[in-house]
Amino acid sequence: MSGGTVRSLGKGSAPPGPVPEGLIRVYSMRFCPFAKRTLLVLRAKGIRHEVININLKNKPEWFFKKNPLGLVPVLETSLGQLICESAITCEYLDEAYPGKKLWPEDPYEKACQKMVFESFSKMPSLMISFLRTQNKEDCSGLKEELHKEFSKLEEVLTNKKTTFFGGSSLSMIDYLIWPWFEWLEALELNEYVDHTPNLKLWMASMRKDPTVSSLLTDVKTFQGFFNLYMQNSPEACDYGL
Amino acid sequence: MTDDATRTLGKGSIPPGPVPEGVIRLYSMRFCPYAHRTRLVLRAKGIRHEVININLRNKPEWYFTKHPFGQIPVLENSKCQLIYESVIACEYLDDAYPGRKLYPYDPYERARQKMLLELFYKVPHLTKECLVALRCGRDCADLKLALRQEFCNLEEILGYQNTVFFGGDCISMIDYLFWPWFERLDVYGIADCVNHTPTLRLWIAAMKQDPTVCSLLTDKNTFLGFLNLYFQNNPAAFDYGLSC
Repeated sequence: MSGGTVRSLGKGSAPPGPVPEGLIRVYSMRFCPFAKRTLLVLRAKGIRHEVININLKNKPEWFFKKNPLGLVPVLETSLGQLICESAITCEYLDEAYPGKKLWPEDPYEKACQKMVFESFSKMPSLMISFLRTQNKEDCSGLKEELHKEFSKLEEVLTNKKTTFFGGSSLSMIDYLIWPWFEWLEALELNEYVDHTPNLKLWMASMRKDPTVSSLLTDVKTFQGFFNLYMQNSPEACDYGL
Repeated sequence: MTDDATRTLGKGSIPPGPVPEGVIRLYSMRFCPYAHRTRLVLRAKGIRHEVININLRNKPEWYFTKHPFGQIPVLENSKCQLIYESVIACEYLDDAYPGRKLYPYDPYERARQKMLLELFYKVPHLTKECLVALRCGRDCADLKLALRQEFCNLEEILGYQNTVFFGGDCISMIDYLFWPWFERLDVYGIADCVNHTPTLRLWIAAMKQDPTVCSLLTDKNTFLGFLNLYFQNNPAAFDYGLSC
């Protein structure tokens, strides 16, 4: 990883220069699950890249030129092209770079993965809500909804009779949903997959994948980040460094 | 008369047989904007297809085996494979069928079209809310303002790109994905929402000249007839305008 920064850049920081040829840059944040999708794909496909972490609680002014919404992840090419939205960045990388294709070649299999992805769309906001109500009494409604979402995913695995969501080997859909499952332990929600044995097995198989395991964040660091982030601390994004 | 001018199937109807080889089937409804996207792509790519219209207020029991919540559009091929969600269906057709590609080949241009689609996401909801408000005699000034803002964003894109269509100088997937809601502005009573966006109006005019868009235009009176019955909760709404 050349030229990237681990420490996040915040307000008042100098804008980074153009992206060197032969590299692609990702604007990210170490704990952002959406950005984690892009990092997983970059790693899985062996794409040379640099990472610039953004302090999401103290965003640099120049970052809004990369994404007017100020969100990560954003890809920037050496041609100055900008790609936003995590799923779009992942698809772009799969199409633009050679090597192992993460989306299936078969149009129907690809459509199936996209339909699974669509049905996953409630999960991110549920997990964030869970994070926010951690210390309050009533999260029973949330817990029920989470249970429903896990059951939906369990049904997919049960019907397919495969380890992974795309078949017998890992593919795009698995990487797209993994980052939220990485949060489960840190949020003390592990018991929720006790009722969904195939999903539990999937999680274990994911942890064994070299790409996934190389990007795992440990539980204590996550929890430290969550604490600071919920307090809106500008130190949150650099926790553990 | 378009190829989907058939009576809807409702509760108690006999489930259709398997899809014949060489044909793809679309479960649809003549006035649904989401299904309209898929019909545009089928037509633009010259794909042999059959349409089964579903009565959305009186859904056939068998239809829930095609879609868990009974939504449209759904594609079914001769291998019994089912594809739903309008955007996924459109992409599937572009990938699976030869001929003219509607999405660009270049990965960055493809990504740009997908980012544009994200920019559009509030439009369907807002146009529907305006329609409902107007039909129920409620004021919708706030909604129209919000819709105008969305249209301003799209206007800005066209201005910045300096192209006729959203994907460049030729019509492409993104234009077809946006079109159904623009076709409905007039009949929904909100055509004035493009008063301040001249480039968008030029785009609308250019779209109306596209042979595919043209061939699927629904005439205003038929649409109004449907809307009138729909807002009276009359299940006959979906077949409005069909002879006999």
